[in-house]
Amino acid sequence: MAFGRRSPRSSRHPPALAIVTALLLAFLFSAAASSTDAMHNNNWAVLVCTSRFWFNYRHMANTLSLYRTVKRLGIPDERIILMLADDMACNPRNSYPAQVFNNENHQLNLYGDNVEVDYRGYEVTVENFLRVLTGRHESAVPRSKRVLSDEGSHILLYMTGHGGDEFLKFQDSEELQSHDLADAVKQMKEKHRFKELLIMVDTCQAATLFSQLQSPGVLAIGSSMKGENSYSHHLDSDIGVSVVDRFTYYTLAFFEKLNMYSNASLNSLFTSYNPSMLMSTAYYRMDLYERPLNEVPVTNFFGSVMKTLHTDSAYTGFLAAHDYATPLSVGDNLDDHFMLKDRSTPRRSNIEKEAQLTPHGWTEVLLEQLEGKNTDTVVMYGLGGMGILLALSTWLSM
Amino acid sequence: MAAHSRGHPAMRERGFSPAGTSPYWWIRPCAGPILFLSLLFLFLFTAAAASAAAPEEEKFTEELLLRPLPDRKALAHFHFRSSAPPAASVGRHHHIFPKAISQLVKKYHISELELSFTQGRWNYEQWGGFDPMSTNNAKPPGVELWAVFDLPLSEIDATWKNLTHTLSGLFCASINFLESSTAFSAPRWGFKLNEGNLRYGALPREAVCTENLTPWLKLLPCRDKAGIAFLLYRPSIYKGYYHSQKLKLRSSQSLGIILDQTLTVVLQPNTVSGEQLHSNHGQLQPNWSMRHLFNRKLSGKCLVSKSSRVFIEVDKSIVDNVNKSGSDLSWSNELFVLSNSPDKLIKGQNHVEIQSSFLYVYDASNYTEEKPLDVGITWKLPLVWTCTPSPFHASRFLMGSGNERGSIALSFMSTNLHKQISGSPTDCSIKAVIFQVVPWYVKVYYHSLEIFIDGSRKTVSEVVDKIHVIPSEDKLLPGTLEMLLRFPCSMQSGTLTLDFDKGFLHIDEYPPDANQGFDIPSALVSFPEFSSARSYPEIDPVLGSPLLEYFQEDSVVKSYTEVLLVPLTTPDFSMPYNVITFTCTVLALYFGSLLNALRRRIGEEERELKKTELVSM
Repeated sequence: MAFGRRSPRSSRHPPALAIVTALLLAFLFSAAASSTDAMHNNNWAVLVCTSRFWFNYRHMANTLSLYRTVKRLGIPDERIILMLADDMACNPRNSYPAQVFNNENHQLNLYGDNVEVDYRGYEVTVENFLRVLTGRHESAVPRSKRVLSDEGSHILLYMTGHGGDEFLKFQDSEELQSHDLADAVKQMKEKHRFKELLIMVDTCQAATLFSQLQSPGVLAIGSSMKGENSYSHHLDSDIGVSVVDRFTYYTLAFFEKLNMYSNASLNSLFTSYNPSMLMSTAYYRMDLYERPLNEVPVTNFFGSVMKTLHTDSAYTGFLAAHDYATPLSVGDNLDDHFMLKDRSTPRRSNIEKEAQLTPHGWTEVLLEQLEGKNTDTVVMYGLGGMGILLALSTWLSM
Repeated sequence: MAAHSRGHPAMRERGFSPAGTSPYWWIRPCAGPILFLSLLFLFLFTAAAASAAAPEEEKFTEELLLRPLPDRKALAHFHFRSSAPPAASVGRHHHIFPKAISQLVKKYHISELELSFTQGRWNYEQWGGFDPMSTNNAKPPGVELWAVFDLPLSEIDATWKNLTHTLSGLFCASINFLESSTAFSAPRWGFKLNEGNLRYGALPREAVCTENLTPWLKLLPCRDKAGIAFLLYRPSIYKGYYHSQKLKLRSSQSLGIILDQTLTVVLQPNTVSGEQLHSNHGQLQPNWSMRHLFNRKLSGKCLVSKSSRVFIEVDKSIVDNVNKSGSDLSWSNELFVLSNSPDKLIKGQNHVEIQSSFLYVYDASNYTEEKPLDVGITWKLPLVWTCTPSPFHASRFLMGSGNERGSIALSFMSTNLHKQISGSPTDCSIKAVIFQVVPWYVKVYYHSLEIFIDGSRKTVSEVVDKIHVIPSEDKLLPGTLEMLLRFPCSMQSGTLTLDFDKGFLHIDEYPPDANQGFDIPSALVSFPEFSSARSYPEIDPVLGSPLLEYFQEDSVVKSYTEVLLVPLTTPDFSMPYNVITFTCTVLALYFGSLLNALRRRIGEEERELKKTELVSM
């Protein structure tokens, strides 16, 4: 009897299952398709110095050198998160107050007149760093301390300090491990918080820090490989400590020759490192990155230069009718978000695809349901429902 | 809607609401000119309405006060005031007043707020303790924040928490560490008389550097590009002996919002060479000018400011000396010469009608970039003077040794000021109010309060009129002490001591540099019977100088004590790692041997081995 009943049932259910899986696949494809179509429209920089105490002056100078470069090439303070674990410029041991140098000729004051440090002192912890990356802050945290990136962002993540095999030391009291970083990047990718990410690490055994990464769209370069140390460049006898590390010194030497309009490629940056000058091997991994490096200009990550196309048509919002092009005057301040509108056709289809996704069916219902309720009970109900579904399907498949 | 918010969060938050504008599609068929005309009429109407109904508007004034100090240094005090009229008359548009501040005030219902960033210690002995400058601008090192809210008492703590986060984002400082209840306190009368809606917090170890000045300057309409703020050359400010930037907000329905930003710096003019630094007998005081202090000259005022002035102030003692030498107090007299002739001269008086200071006023709008203002002072005769001190010099120190217990001692040294002011009656008394907040890990025993006057022990009830203590709770509340004392006028030295025990912190609560120690924030000592207000009877009220108004406000003489550094026992931070390693080793050895003993058959292994040898042979 069981045999007799099995065949008609099993002949009925596979089509239902097939339909369900087909719908799921279609949904996933549309989701994936819409995310890869997002255009690059803003750049963010997260610059982290994890060392405290006066003898780690060079790590602060490294981070501030990158800060200066990134600001000079166009990224505004609103889109830079600068984390400095200690105060060197106004440190009582600094004989040049309010000045930080990265060279013993003291030609460049990295601190300048307009510095905005977002996380400083005791706030530079692994927890805050991961919160900045994943965007999971408490509600009171102000906007200037958040990375408000979206799926069209390119993010530059620069970390410097003392590190080792698969870890980076934060302020002598905790470590960030390579799998934590990979986890955070994975969360970022799932939440569409970046389109492309460049991780640059200047510590000892830096390449091990990004060895666990698996998210696509990530490019990473470290100043040394496993088993190698990264060295400081020179000692400033006036200040009394080393003022810059070798990897950052040569990175800066590369960037000081550039301005906002240069189109030097990432390939030229990555191949400019000479192992004998660095006394270590600068290792980069591009297996997760689709574009070839000689086609990517450095200003895609280190600066904020957008290609703007001037049109005369009127501006329309993103939710209103899709039939109008977005105007953009070249003199418009702030926002590289507003990409210009000869791309109206692919954008329209982009918007329509996006519009199809979210108002549809079960996500909105789910969000409404979640509004007032305790999330624990909802999760319980969900798990219970899944369990029942599982039991049902196993019974049916037997 | 969700697509819009998810896809472009930053754009939406910037106040751009493309969805809010009316859809154009139904206007387009109408003629363009009609639309244009209607918009024009609308614009004219609103302009007329606005001009008719706006009696008050936003104002901005900037002022700088320079004063020579007795120990061969110079004091520079920048004062910027922006005021916004009450909301009803102007609405939410601001053109000079910083929008960030008005949003802060409206969101958190602040009626008064003061936030100061200070580096260095105000030297009360040399720089004075009795004038409005020292009572208002001598602040404790680090960050000090206090705010009075216009809210029901139950909501204030949550609002304070959000306020600290907002201020930390606005001023690039870790003010958010004041959010937890272990970091702030609610004094009732020791700090400022209030009904429970005041919160006070201080972070003594907060660094102050250019990144705090940058957003502070961005609140000014001309930033640091024009006007008096252009003088702020960062290396010379941060090379000073004391610098304190302060933001003071007052808001009310009738007055609107008044924002005062002040920066007080004590600098060594770079005309002084090494050996002149400390000798002050028989030598001329250093000659300095604005160029020596700031490396720059003032090249005009900020164009949106209502007035822009530079004051040079000479103290009471210098005034007395000049009067004694017989000349009058013009800008060029027998003791000193100013480099430019001032536009105005103002005499100041303290609260007992004695002439206390003299001000030379320069109007910055008379100067331009081609003819900049570089006012300075040149001394003709050597002069030694002292600034008026507060009735007692208050200082605080720690007693005891070891990591278990200690004592906090507050000492008062008389400066015999009362003799100068009111003769010497023998039965007078001087009241002093002490306000002190101690973190929970320094567990103060308030019953162990001992008071010594001129070396002899007095009972507490003889000296203390009123005392209010909020005892500390472990990991929850700091200990707050507010005390009103009465000292006899003839007292030369007085000391208060309080015993404490040092607490233990959880390993996660130690900061990364735990071996440095932990700070007890400054205590505040105020003398309510002495007023430091000045009056300027000869000036025209229309002069409208916020700096002078500020000096004329009634304020008591205050002084802050030192910050105390308490070393606490620090654990061996490598112990968790050591424990894990040892435990895992022991467990591995135990289970390894156990499993070996249970499962491994040595005899069988040997037989297997022999068999394979036989087979392979």
